[in-house]
This record gives sequence, structure tokens and C-alpha cells, in this order.
Amino acid sequence: MHVIVATDGSKQSLAAARHLKSFADPTKITEVSVIAVIRPLAAVSFADELSTVDQRKAHTDAGSFRAAAENAVDVVAAEFDGWGPKVHRKVRGGSPANEIIKAAKQLSAGLVVVAAGGRGISDVVLVGSTAQRVQHYAPCPVLVVRPAPRRTASKAGRS
Amino acid sequence: MAEGTTYATPYDEPGHENDLKRSITGRLLFFYTLGDVLGSGIYVLIGAVAGAVGGAFWIAFGVGVAIAVITAMAYAELVTKYPQAAGAALYVNKAFGNKFLTFLITVCFLSSSFAAAGALSSGFASYFLEVWEFAPALVISLVFVLILTIINFIGITESVVINMLMTFAEVSGLIIVTIIAIWYVAEGNADFGTLTDFSNAEGHPILAIISGVALAFFAMTGFENTANVAEETIDPQRSFPRALIGGIATAGVIYVVVAIAAALTVDTETLAGSEASLLEVIKADIIPVPVDAMVILFAIIAMIAITNTTLVAVVTQPRILYGMAKEDVVPGVFSKIHSSRRSPWFGLIFSGLVVAALLTIGSQIDLAAGETLIDRLATVTVVFLLFIYALVIVSCLKLRGHDEAEGNYRASTPLLVVGLVGNLVLLGYVVYDDPSSLYWCAGLVALGVVLFLVEYLFGKRTRPASAERGDPEVGRGA
Repeated sequence: MHVIVATDGSKQSLAAARHLKSFADPTKITEVSVIAVIRPLAAVSFADELSTVDQRKAHTDAGSFRAAAENAVDVVAAEFDGWGPKVHRKVRGGSPANEIIKAAKQLSAGLVVVAAGGRGISDVVLVGSTAQRVQHYAPCPVLVVRPAPRRTASKAGRS
Repeated sequence: MAEGTTYATPYDEPGHENDLKRSITGRLLFFYTLGDVLGSGIYVLIGAVAGAVGGAFWIAFGVGVAIAVITAMAYAELVTKYPQAAGAALYVNKAFGNKFLTFLITVCFLSSSFAAAGALSSGFASYFLEVWEFAPALVISLVFVLILTIINFIGITESVVINMLMTFAEVSGLIIVTIIAIWYVAEGNADFGTLTDFSNAEGHPILAIISGVALAFFAMTGFENTANVAEETIDPQRSFPRALIGGIATAGVIYVVVAIAAALTVDTETLAGSEASLLEVIKADIIPVPVDAMVILFAIIAMIAITNTTLVAVVTQPRILYGMAKEDVVPGVFSKIHSSRRSPWFGLIFSGLVVAALLTIGSQIDLAAGETLIDRLATVTVVFLLFIYALVIVSCLKLRGHDEAEGNYRASTPLLVVGLVGNLVLLGYVVYDDPSSLYWCAGLVALGVVLFLVEYLFGKRTRPASAERGDPEVGRGA
């Protein structure tokens, strides 16, 4: 089975990747594709909140969103090092939900892993978060990892 | 522009797989540029330009376009050299390596964007009031800024296509004006003598043209924002120069045609006296279509056009602040990203407030000075942009021989020199003609300096926090 793990550069997306690792059987998964999507027209096309200062490529601070996305993909992909499945890294540009769904179709993915996004009022009031759209239109099962309540955050992160 | 859609991506890095999908084709970029440029000036400023020159004001648009196209060539050359993180500040940094100058140019760019958003918001309000007159212009422009800020917060990921639709709407408005003029000419009413009329010029016609060009230059603003999306453009080496220069040149032709059309159909006093000037062409009631319906339709088209350009400006401001925060030149709060919407919420709110402040302060001062807020903010924008454009051209020339690769676009050197002189002449004239605009410029630059000082004096408090943010292991206490 080919699993797609999407990252938007948030810590939650890293937690989602770790959650997959915590229960999934690596012998049943043949390949993992870590995907980041850059939104070219958004004010901040991609915000990398995962990599440390040392891990960042030279262009990140100068405003290269592609480098930021590659950094985030590297951090998430590193989670799967030595786990078993072959790990692919991909950066795409466009609407996050659309690109994740397209990638799932192209790769004939068996599972898509996304973070749920925020829990705040903005998700209730404002339309269409990426996770919602992926759930609705993905060609395969979708694992939406919700942020754990603060007390149990360390449990959800690692096994 | 049919090509540019199917090229392979040339920037794949060895560590990543071969399908780094970029999303912006040459054609979309062309419409992005065209929409960006078209919205800004012609709907907002054509009256002011007509007032400065007279019937011959189309020449001002023509000259303005020529200088803008040359500047765009410098941008195109630099973008193809440095497609990652494109922007005036980066080019100046590459060329001069002077931190202060880089900071200054970033602040200037940010300020020009603030002033442009202010001018455009006032322009929006003028057209809005022509249709629905239920609130003061200031209130409408403030609500307009608020709505754009919210849209920006939600995110405008998909708007490349919407942008294209908006561009079509903008062009359709200008086609309406042109059709009216053709009808007028066909009826034999047109007096072509107005096209060489400099009646409004104070002094020599050449000076009148220069002052017109300086104002018309505002109509060219916006193309530099196209560099924002350079990184995500498919085959930037080929498609970027074509889309950028093609977009501006197309906009320029449209501008000159529309300027001629407006000059033929409406006398320049009426154009100059109206805040929603192109609407005067419709109001002249030349074609046999109900004028009320046409006025509403055209006002809506004008509002779409202005919205399109303002939106791009509003997106650019928090982006610049985000980059500056990452470099530790403004407080770190500007790089805070909202957890689910992935938007720089603080930068957005801050930018909205600055534009709102410009509009509010401007509306109070102008009551005394007797000058419209649009002209004032447009002049401030132009001062900043001319300074930036001149420096970008110098950077382009200075970076010749560095980082050059096969297939890079290369602008013509003599043309660049002409463009540089053009930019400097205009800058000199604007400053000489309207020195009070420098107060506004100084105020905006001072704001940037204040942000720098806040970061410089208190920045140590935010830096450890940001180091934590960058390191998930530390954040999780692992």
C-alpha cells in the first residue's frame, strides 16, 4: 500500500506522521510519499515550523517558500527513516486539498494522512479547511489526525 | 502565449523526486500580470493625468508604459537569474551586499504597497459612491480594506483562475470605453485636435508630459508583485520574461487606446473634475444603451478591477513583513502563522491598520489642502516605486557577469540605461513638483525604522522563543 503523508509545515502535521507510525504495520506499507503543497498566491506560501535553524537551507530566510516546503518535507520524511517502506519526498504548487487529492490519484494511494488543522473558532466560521476537502474528495481512506488535548500531547506523539 | 504549459521543471534537486510540481503556467502568469497592472491606474487616475496635461494625455500613458516595460525587462532578467525568493530587496542585496540599503529598499517596497492600497481603496470608494451612495467615502474605503484583509486571512490559494476571470472583466470595461469612442468617431463628432492639446499644461508641454507620466506611472504599478510567484512558475526562464513584458506591453496598448478614447469623447475638464473619471465616458450617453444600466455595469467592472490589484497589494504586505521577521529586522510576531489557516495573522492585521490609518489621516488633512486623497497616495506610491525601480535597474546592470546561466533572459543594456534615466528624471520631477509627498514617505519609512528598533531593543526576548518554534523536539519536551 502506498501512503501519502501531507505536511503544511505545522507541528500538527508532524504529529500526524508520528501517529501513523505509532500503529501502522510497516510490512503492509510498501511506500510512503511525504507531500508539501505551496500556495503561490497566499501571503505566506509555505511556513516551515518544523526544521531547526541548522537544518534550514540557505534560501529559507530570504523568503524562498519552496526551500521552506522542502525543509518541512525533509523533517517529516526523516520520521520514516529506517521504518521499512520506501520514502518519497514531493513538493507541489497549487491548492493544498486539490494537489493532495491529485497526488493520491496519481500514486494510487491506499491511505492519505493529514492533520486536522486548528480547533479554533475560525474553522467553524470560515469555509473549507484542507483536511475537510481531502476527506470529501480523496479516492482512498483518509486518516485525519486531530490535535490531542494538551495533557496527553506527549502520549499521542510517540509510541 | 499558448506555450509554457508543458515544459519539464528545470530546478529539480537531487534529494527530491523528479516531480516537483509547479502550478503557474506562462499563460496564467500573463493574465496575472495584466490583471495586476490594469486594475491599478486607469480606472483610478485617468482624470488626474488628463488634468495635468490636457487632451494629449495619452502620450503620458505611452511614455509611462515605455519606462515600465524597460523596468520590467530588468525584473525579468533578475527573476530568471534568481527565481527563488524573487524581489527588489533580494536583487539589491545581491548587487550591493549592504544591509542598510537592503533594509531601506524593503521598507520602501512595503511603504509603496501601503500607499498603493490606500489610493486604490479611495478609488474603489469613488466608484462605489457613483452607484450606491449610503456612506461617506472614508467608511467605504475602510470597510473595503477590512474585507480584503479577511479574504487574505482565509487564503486565496485558488485565485489564479479567479484572477484570470477578473482580468477578463477589467478588459471588458476598457473595451466598452473603446467601443463608445469608435461609435463617437463613426458618427463624425470627434475632434481629433484634442489629441494634441496641452491646454492644462502649466508651462512647457514637455513638463506637462513629465508630470502626467509621473501620475500615469501609478497605473503601471503592480507588475513587480508578479515576482512573488516566480518560484512556482513552470519554466521561469522562458515563460517569465514573456509573461511579464507581454503583460505590461498589452496593458500599455490598452491604456493608450483607452486614454485616446476618453480624450475624444469627454472634454478634459470633466475628466479631471471627476473622481470616477472613466465613468464620465459612459455618462456622456453616446451609444444607444440605457445610460443608467451602463453606469452601474461599468462601476461594478471598475470595482472588480480595483479589487483585483488591491488584493495583490494586500497579500504582498504581510509577506514582506513575514520575510523581515524571519531575518530578525522586525519583531518576530510578524512571522506568527495562524495554526489552521496558515496565514500570518498579525502581519495582516497590522497592514490593514496601516492602510486604514493612511486613509483616515489623509481624509482629515486633505480637507484643508484641497487635494484628493487618491492623487496624494498615488504620488507617494510613485516616489517609492521610482526609487525602487531605479535601484533594481542598477542592480541588474551591476549583477551582469554574476550567476549567469545558459538560457537566462538578458535585457538590452542601452534600453536599461534609458529606463534608469527615465526613472530618475521622473523621480526628480515628482519630488521637485510635490515636495510635501516626501513627508508621507518619511512617515512610512519611519514606521519601518520603529519596527526595526523595537526588534533591535526587545528582539532578544523573542529569539529564544522562535528557536523553540523551529525545533519540534524541544517543543515536545522529548
